[in-house]
Amino acid sequence: MIKVLGIGGGAREHSLAEKVAQSAHHPKIYWISEWRNPGIYEICRSTGGEYIIGSTTDPLFVSKRSKTLGVDLVIIGPEEPNFYGVADAVRDAGIPCLGPYRDVAVIEQSKAALRRLQWKYDIPGRLLFRTFRDVRSAKEALNEASKSLTWLQNVVLKPARQAGGKGVKVIEDKQAYLLNEKLTFKMSHIEWLSDYMSGYEDIQDRVLAEECVWGPEYTLHCFTDGKTVVGMPLVQDNKHAFDFDIGPETGGMGSISGPGMALDFITREEYERSLEIVRSVIRAIQDETGKDYIGVAAGQMMVTEIEGPTLIEMYSRLGDPEALNVLAVLKTDILDLAFAICEGRLSKVGVDFEKNAVVVKAVAPEGYPDRKDLAKGHEVLVDRDEVLKRGCKLYWGAAHLEDGRIVTTGSRFVELVAKERSVERAAELVNGCLGLPRLKGWRTLYRVDIGTRELNERRTELAEKVRRLYKFRESRGLLGSRLDWVPGMGLIDPALEVKKYEVDRT
Amino acid sequence: MPGLIGICSFGEGSEKWNVLRFTYYAMLALQNRGQEAFSIAWVDKATGSLRKVEASGNVEELLPLIDGSSGHVAIGMTSPLVSDHIVEVDGDVRVAVAMDGKTLDHRDRREACKAIGEELSSGSPLHESMLRVATKYRVGYSFLVLTEKGEVGCGRSAVGLKPLTIGSIGFDLGCVASESSALDVIGATYSSIVGAGEIITMTPLTLKRDRVIGATEEPCTFEFVYLARHDSVVFQEDVYRVREEVGKCLARGDEVDCDVVIGVPETSYPIALSYGATRRRAVKLGFVRSGDHIRSALKGSQLERLIGLQLKLNPVPSVVDGKNVVLIDDSIVRGNTLKNVISLLRRKGAVGVHVRIGSPQIVKTCPYGTEIPPRDELIAGNLRLEDIKKVIGCDSIEFLRLEDLERLISKDNVRPCTGCFGGRYAGDVKVD
Repeated sequence: MIKVLGIGGGAREHSLAEKVAQSAHHPKIYWISEWRNPGIYEICRSTGGEYIIGSTTDPLFVSKRSKTLGVDLVIIGPEEPNFYGVADAVRDAGIPCLGPYRDVAVIEQSKAALRRLQWKYDIPGRLLFRTFRDVRSAKEALNEASKSLTWLQNVVLKPARQAGGKGVKVIEDKQAYLLNEKLTFKMSHIEWLSDYMSGYEDIQDRVLAEECVWGPEYTLHCFTDGKTVVGMPLVQDNKHAFDFDIGPETGGMGSISGPGMALDFITREEYERSLEIVRSVIRAIQDETGKDYIGVAAGQMMVTEIEGPTLIEMYSRLGDPEALNVLAVLKTDILDLAFAICEGRLSKVGVDFEKNAVVVKAVAPEGYPDRKDLAKGHEVLVDRDEVLKRGCKLYWGAAHLEDGRIVTTGSRFVELVAKERSVERAAELVNGCLGLPRLKGWRTLYRVDIGTRELNERRTELAEKVRRLYKFRESRGLLGSRLDWVPGMGLIDPALEVKKYEVDRT
Repeated sequence: MPGLIGICSFGEGSEKWNVLRFTYYAMLALQNRGQEAFSIAWVDKATGSLRKVEASGNVEELLPLIDGSSGHVAIGMTSPLVSDHIVEVDGDVRVAVAMDGKTLDHRDRREACKAIGEELSSGSPLHESMLRVATKYRVGYSFLVLTEKGEVGCGRSAVGLKPLTIGSIGFDLGCVASESSALDVIGATYSSIVGAGEIITMTPLTLKRDRVIGATEEPCTFEFVYLARHDSVVFQEDVYRVREEVGKCLARGDEVDCDVVIGVPETSYPIALSYGATRRRAVKLGFVRSGDHIRSALKGSQLERLIGLQLKLNPVPSVVDGKNVVLIDDSIVRGNTLKNVISLLRRKGAVGVHVRIGSPQIVKTCPYGTEIPPRDELIAGNLRLEDIKKVIGCDSIEFLRLEDLERLISKDNVRPCTGCFGGRYAGDVKVD
């Protein structure tokens, strides 16, 4: 009998565990997570496996456990184990692992490294960027940009390392009369980022400043064994905490996909271009490191006016909640697929997906995402049978089972999924269940508008506007080019500046 | 009629934003809704308490008054009436309330704001209190509230008459404004309208929305005729598009002699342009303005209106000399504006002046606080068409038909308020 060990305790992992449990190989399922996810726990027990509470980022611990349990395959859910080399250790122990080598996962771990890679290898769909190693140089550069009105004035400020999705600020600075307000905020955010990043010792860059772009966003996940790259259906995640696309950035409050491989507002051609971008990144990081990419790579994409499909960030794993979209329609047996990837024969396996649309919505405790202290420790009450009766499935996320009680750990504790012929119909089903997960003595947070016709129409309108612009640029041979003319300085190509500061120097 | 703007900052670092200037520029953008008074309220960064600044006059005078102050949440209001300001109420929680429109239950906006402020300052949760308010006073207004705790609430009465739109700036700021153009001006992305009977509460950690039961969308048609900027979206309708349709309606079947089409600045421009295009006649710029842009119809006294008007409208001689002019205006309230304009045109040599009005005859006042004079001051409410013609001195006059206006704005579940034009009032109230 096949034994499988999974890593990570969120809704993405619950969905993975369920998928593994449905495999024709009838595996015994083992799992390691920092908390006891009620859903995964149940699956482990029912398949005769075991649920282990322990560190998911300790390579030695995971590889030793894999050995003693005698598992045939390890599947890694979240990103952090990838950054610590958990997959490396498991493979060193001679066990197949669905998860990338640490060196390869750098495309997610270091946002700056990804950008440099893209520019070094001339991979299309890239943004202008600058990195800073200290507060002073970052402040100087941004101050200067506000005076000279260069591209660095309209920026997205990010921590240079993947840092739990926190600290990203989009500061479009286009109203001269609000310049001081924006500048003041940029300065204080640079300080905040620097403090925040001081907790991470594994990277030199502190602050990443990227060109601010607009357009519809989507995620393209791919399976890869290092030789073959297979794209999955596109998913659109929604990062704002609140309805109307308002409020702080979260890990994702809900995601839509289908029907079919693309989304209603993304063309097949844009899908293909996006796939080529992700493929190129995988090739480039393999060239850099000499290692195969084994697992899932995902491009967080945006259609931009400058270049059409553009890479915003990379994931070295499935997104959460996006994983629930793609796994809900994956028809191929996940273990056949996983072994094929680990053994380098992905090209021999047909990977099939259902055509259905899927809507996923997260329910979080109020306080998420910025006040974990307020969001954790609340008892969850939910009628799971009622959820099923209303046509949805429930996956446990940041929820810990202890003495028969389920308690929030501070983040999205439940994700609800519906599969239907259209996104709108699926959204209706999920909306019918959003009130069912409750917290004892505390309030929940979720988005009603995701997947509704109004929001979908707005996404389509936005996509059409942006498409018109990049198609125009394309017809003039200007795709991806950004020329400026500064009085007294002449023609300026900001791309050369990026190459000079960020690529040639390193 | 006032212009409303509310801004709340969210999440990590929310307290680092100073939104006062954002509020100010949005108010500047909303002066079309009132130029006589302005007020702003915010939670002061230095003291943590609710502060308010108010004055009569032009919004531009606000800037020096808030210089050096800082707040991460604020609401602002521009008004067409002197001393029509944001109202502060000091209950268990200190609150500031701004309103567009008016409840039916109170004499004026100030009284309405005060009554609502009292309900909202009682110390019970703001969101639930606002829902109660929107149910209790069912018709006629949009409102904003700021509490000393830093909550920004907004909503529209269950019978949704006055506009309100919502949008965001990055991950940091949530904004509500009477018109979408105010969001544009401060760099916010328009998301949606606030629905009829919808209540929204924003705090640094949450955004809650709910809708009162039995809410209906009954938009004020005067917004489309005159009030809103034509670069705005209100009630999910593009204002410019509506005005163009009005121009087409006026042109259809109109065979009056016309050498040139002139619009009275500035609301009527889209109407004049589409009227001319439909009839294949030249549309020309007939007037040059002196001084600031003044919305003459919103001025308080007859003399002030006349001054505003005369400064605004000096006709260009060659455009009108020897011509049959079709003169387009958005509405007629008292008729003195048009009377004056027509006499100016004739003195510059116009042969014929045919007046076309982009709205039906205003025959009744507004019980919801839109500054329409009492009935005895409304020319169309008192005189027959023939007499109006004689008084203002035009060769012919035509109005937009009420059924055309209704048709342009009606949709599934949208029944416009056309009470002042002699149609049905929002909430089916009876007004003499």
